[in-house]
Amino acid sequence: MLILFQILFSLFVLFAIVSVIKRKKEGLLGPKGTIFWIVFWLAALVAVLWPNALQVLAEYVGIGRGVDLVIYVALVIVFYVLFKLNIKIEGLDRQLTKVVRKDSLDKNSK
Amino acid sequence: MFIALVPAFNEEQKIGSVVQSLFEHVDKVVVIDDASKDNTSKIAKEAGATVLRHKINRGQGASLQTGHEYCLKNKADYVLHFDGDGQFCVEDILPALEIVKKENVDILFGSRFLDDRTKVPFLKKYILFPIARIFNKMSGVYLTDIHNGFRILNRKALENIVIEQDRMAHATEIPAKAKKFGLNYIEFPVKVVYHQYGGGLIHGVGVLRDLFFGKFLK
Repeated sequence: MLILFQILFSLFVLFAIVSVIKRKKEGLLGPKGTIFWIVFWLAALVAVLWPNALQVLAEYVGIGRGVDLVIYVALVIVFYVLFKLNIKIEGLDRQLTKVVRKDSLDKNSK
Repeated sequence: MFIALVPAFNEEQKIGSVVQSLFEHVDKVVVIDDASKDNTSKIAKEAGATVLRHKINRGQGASLQTGHEYCLKNKADYVLHFDGDGQFCVEDILPALEIVKKENVDILFGSRFLDDRTKVPFLKKYILFPIARIFNKMSGVYLTDIHNGFRILNRKALENIVIEQDRMAHATEIPAKAKKFGLNYIEFPVKVVYHQYGGGLIHGVGVLRDLFFGKFLK
């Protein structure tokens, strides 16, 4: 029997996938991004509906509990995303500098 | 033409006298006002400097590169980097330029440690600088003084070195690029007068952070 959390989570996943498809239609998400997010949410759904599946996977990679596996993977993803964001921000910073520089040089030559 | 580049941020107290004293030693003074909130631009202009004003604060490295692009357009033969807070002594400029010409080097780096005129604060001398030196060595350049804002670049150096580190890490980037592009460099003793204790540990950590993330950009 499904417990309440599983029902709510399934509904949330449904909602998440619908919004991913919406973003794709609006052109905010590319094909790679769309597939990644759909697979991500479906994987999360599998993990919630069949926790044993996660347990099997965790044991396979040498981690005791399924939940631990989720936490470790989530942490790795979070750090990776932070790292990517930092580089992205630094890149934006440099582009901003170029605009500010051009403005100051243009003003001077007028 | 010998142009002095003076990056300045909220330096209305000192910038006027710095610009005036520079005019005795260089042909042109360019102040890069990095979005100061005070009257830095106005005072620098009144003192006779050409002022390039950043609308948004971008950091000292960004200011120097703005100056470099101005100098490239305006046919500078030599460029001087000189801090806007009056910590350097203008008397060091001409002897330094003479050495650059005589030794035919592309870049001259000022150093506080080649004579005993500068009193360096304890934390800087024994903790920050040794750490920074390790990073310099990693880039293959050995300088007695890192992060010294007094430099003279010739046209060749100016054309080759594009400063991409907007904040303070440019001081590590410039020697590294000098080596990368095969430029000749020399160190020269300059005097630094500390008006206030700048930098510090947080500053050092910021430099390391910029250098790290800069490695992943291109």
